[in-house]
Amino acid sequence: MNILVLIKEVPDMEKVKFDSEKGVVNRSSAESEINPFDMNALQSAIDIKNKYGADITVLTMGPLRAEKSLRDAYARGADNVVLMTDCRFSGADTCATSRTLSAGIKYLGTFDLIICGEKSVDGDTAQVGAEVAEFLDMPHAYYVENINSIDKTEIEVVIENICGSKQVRRMKLPALIGVTKNINLPKLPTVNRKLKSLEIDVEKISLDDLYEHIDADETGFKGSPTKIAKIVIPNPVERTGHIYKDDYVTFKEAIKKEIKSESTI
Amino acid sequence: MESKVIDKMISIVGKDYVIDDIEQKMSYFYDEIEHTMRPKANEDSIVVKPKDTDEISMIMKYANKNNLTVVIRGGGTGLSGACTPIRESIILSTERFNKIIEIDEDNMVAVLEAGVTLFQLLEELGKYEGTGFPVHPGDEGAQIGGMAVTNAGGARAVKHGVMRKHIQGMEVVLPNGEVLELGGKLLKNNAGYNLMQLIIGSEGTLAVVTKVVLKIYPKDKYSATIVAPFKNFNDASNAVLQILKSGVTPLAVEYQDKHLFVETAKMLGTEWQANEGNADLMIIISEKTEDLLYETCRQINDICIKNNSYETLFAGKKSEQDELLLIRSQHYEYIKDIIGHSFDTAVPVADIPAYLKDLKDLANEYNTFTNITAHIADGNIHSDIVLVDGEMPNYAEELKERIFKTCFKYNGTITGEHGIGKLRKKDLKLQKSETEINLMKGIKKLFDPNNILNPGTIFD
Amino acid sequence: MDEYKGILVIAEQNDNIIHKVSYELLNKGRELADELNVPLDCLLLGDDGIHVEELNYRGAETVYYMKSENFSKPEEYLYKQNIVKFIDENKPEIILIGATNFGRSIAPRIAAALKTGLTADCTELQIDDDNNFIQVRPAFSDNILAHIKTVTYPKMATIRYKEFDEAERNVDREINVVKIKPYMDKYDEVEIVQSFNENDVNITEAQIVVATGRAIKKKEDLKMIKDFANKVGGVIGASRALVDAGMIGSVYQVGYSGNRVKPKIYIACGISGAPQHLAGMKESETIIAINSDSSAPIFSIADYGYVGDIYEIIPNLIRDL
Repeated sequence: MNILVLIKEVPDMEKVKFDSEKGVVNRSSAESEINPFDMNALQSAIDIKNKYGADITVLTMGPLRAEKSLRDAYARGADNVVLMTDCRFSGADTCATSRTLSAGIKYLGTFDLIICGEKSVDGDTAQVGAEVAEFLDMPHAYYVENINSIDKTEIEVVIENICGSKQVRRMKLPALIGVTKNINLPKLPTVNRKLKSLEIDVEKISLDDLYEHIDADETGFKGSPTKIAKIVIPNPVERTGHIYKDDYVTFKEAIKKEIKSESTI
Repeated sequence: MESKVIDKMISIVGKDYVIDDIEQKMSYFYDEIEHTMRPKANEDSIVVKPKDTDEISMIMKYANKNNLTVVIRGGGTGLSGACTPIRESIILSTERFNKIIEIDEDNMVAVLEAGVTLFQLLEELGKYEGTGFPVHPGDEGAQIGGMAVTNAGGARAVKHGVMRKHIQGMEVVLPNGEVLELGGKLLKNNAGYNLMQLIIGSEGTLAVVTKVVLKIYPKDKYSATIVAPFKNFNDASNAVLQILKSGVTPLAVEYQDKHLFVETAKMLGTEWQANEGNADLMIIISEKTEDLLYETCRQINDICIKNNSYETLFAGKKSEQDELLLIRSQHYEYIKDIIGHSFDTAVPVADIPAYLKDLKDLANEYNTFTNITAHIADGNIHSDIVLVDGEMPNYAEELKERIFKTCFKYNGTITGEHGIGKLRKKDLKLQKSETEINLMKGIKKLFDPNNILNPGTIFD
Repeated sequence: MDEYKGILVIAEQNDNIIHKVSYELLNKGRELADELNVPLDCLLLGDDGIHVEELNYRGAETVYYMKSENFSKPEEYLYKQNIVKFIDENKPEIILIGATNFGRSIAPRIAAALKTGLTADCTELQIDDDNNFIQVRPAFSDNILAHIKTVTYPKMATIRYKEFDEAERNVDREINVVKIKPYMDKYDEVEIVQSFNENDVNITEAQIVVATGRAIKKKEDLKMIKDFANKVGGVIGASRALVDAGMIGSVYQVGYSGNRVKPKIYIACGISGAPQHLAGMKESETIIAINSDSSAPIFSIADYGYVGDIYEIIPNLIRDL
């Protein structure tokens, strides 16, 4: 079975700084890493591999430095890692990104299952997975919290919550799934594999490689139907509150009154 | 406490900063040692929160003149009961002493008021690209003044040593209220006895520390944590010795019994990932460059493999490393309800395997067991006596003494980092000669002739 | 692209009940439609027996009701095929979809099929002076607000639940329901084996939410928070940190990427107040915060705050309240 995992390299969100006066996001202080949600996607692939046997390819689109995240993916158990990198890919919104990734996937061959994470921590749109599924014309399921079974032709998954219900869904392969954090616990790589990952070749795909699958004006900034008009960094909201320290009794009485007026339920 | 003392305190620090309400005072009486080991606090004590050196000086003058006991309280994260007032005392809380006076990047020093917490310091240093402070006793609520007078250690002592190594200057208030400046930003300073070093580790018995000049360091940018599982403790220990000999210096090498790793992880809602082996090491490394980090990693890995380790695991992401560290540090939450008495003995690193075997044999002899965690590369072992049916067993005192004697067999010490406090006064006599203790007492008398500052700490 | 005209709200139903986000979209949709002077319509896919006239009462001019028993359980591919065909025929200029789980899953499929832009999780929609449709969305865990324009047609946006007020219900409005046949009634590649309501936890409906975060040291300690919640007649909520740590399920998560709540009283116990969390609760009527760090951002939005350790305070509150 061939599994493709889509990952995104994101800045470590705890270290990104936001300047509300200048309206700029400073990522320079932040290290890049694999989007935490994508770690669960990769682990799902590894779990399938361990149980049923599979060949795992990890694909990302980004600048050259994103190689680092792919090496990390290799360390954790990917068999092949591929970077789509080309300055003409840059400035892509989710639509252009999905179209480009889909072209890359077609270029790489056929896959039985595509796995992605629930969303990225920086963009938070959760759009790319479903869009890729559409561009490749395959069914998809989001919020997958368990894979009940998978074979050459079919996968059965549990969807955590859709329209207020849990759903067990069976899909013919090829299909795409977006997994939640609850599906597994991402495992640490071994030191041996980590050290080996520093020496592997990372396959690279440029726009020229994709001439059969995508036109230049369908990717990057040019191929993006949404444009950012401006960025605003909001100031935190303030309320004038009563803050108590040491004076437990006054605090207790104050909130007792508040709660009493509501506790008619 | 007499009302005239309270009135005097109010006149010095203001009404808001003198606390006599028992419910509010309660949180100022104890540190973090097990309830079963706590000295009993004198509940007539009051809490006073001065804001500056002048106020402290006035309090000390008044106390000295009227023979009132003063106990200094910092973050309350100690583990020897040193800050518990056993006589009726003025508890002098340094919580309002929380100003970061200066971060001097040119001389790489930080000038801090004593009540600045480690958390505050690290947060502030975060704003200065590339600076850091390495000593980390585990709880970031610890205050710098407290860390100084207890000579705090922690896991990173392997690479960075203990607090003593990093303090360059201090402002202190003597028991008679006089203010002294000791040391400063100077790197070399050989004028006379080093009284500052004497005060470091004095557990609040010689003077009130009000300011600290702390050395800060360029921060290692890259770090990783290796989990190395071994079949048995001897292999793990041999690996540690060889790592130390090889010239690579890890930031920390932590050991704890396998079941503590496994069960603590479970308690935290996660999973300990090293399935194989019975003796796991957590080796934390930090380096200036990524290449160096991986080179260190390779060397350590090779040594582990040579000593029959199972497949070693690599945590490179901050979140992964934080999780491992959390499993290491939260083990105490997992066992605290069953512990009656805990130890932090230290022995020379090479003697650890033999010492640990002795500890386990001793426990066996009493039909009990002991939980071991250790800063293994600096020889510091935490072990314990577990409760029997929720009660301290009747053999506890005897077992304790035998544990200490075992530790002396290897030229060890009864406390590697927690200090003597009020807890180990009796035990200190097992380790130190009368001559040595008498010298200490003489020093105490010189600083504090009326014995008003934290009496009954270290010795009676 | 003059052929694209009007605003279409794609409504959502769960087990034949119309999801309230649909009414919120109709409210905002009405504002935009009036400003642009275009019609506001609504499309709903579902089984027989849905009271779709309610959508008229809430302001939709025409309600298109596409009926099939195969729509009773949500499945993106089948829904998408039908919605895309509908859009191709009717050509609305702006399409609004609720950013519910289903909305977030199906909207990108529709957008990709239409090769058009989609802005996720908008918190505000505006028409600027040049009649451009501006979509405002937070990113970087709510730390920034991006103003986004779409240059293709139709322009699509998903909007978070509880971002806007529901449109007022007016039964005097004309009922205008157009029933349409599905273009595609069945999709053989996917089978819904089972669908069930597992838990009724819905913290978005609660009047009092007692939430906790990082300060909780271990799973068992959540009992203390639950006891407290029971005591005050509220439900328990959690910050992302706690959910990410696996200590509690994501249905309890309050925050930008979890549930947005607007209870009468929100009690934050040991939550420092990361922007991502504040985004999910800052509109609560009364906010009470307990935290050991007096400089925690949560205090800046709290009506009542107490600086102290939750492990000390909460047992006292359970006793005293």
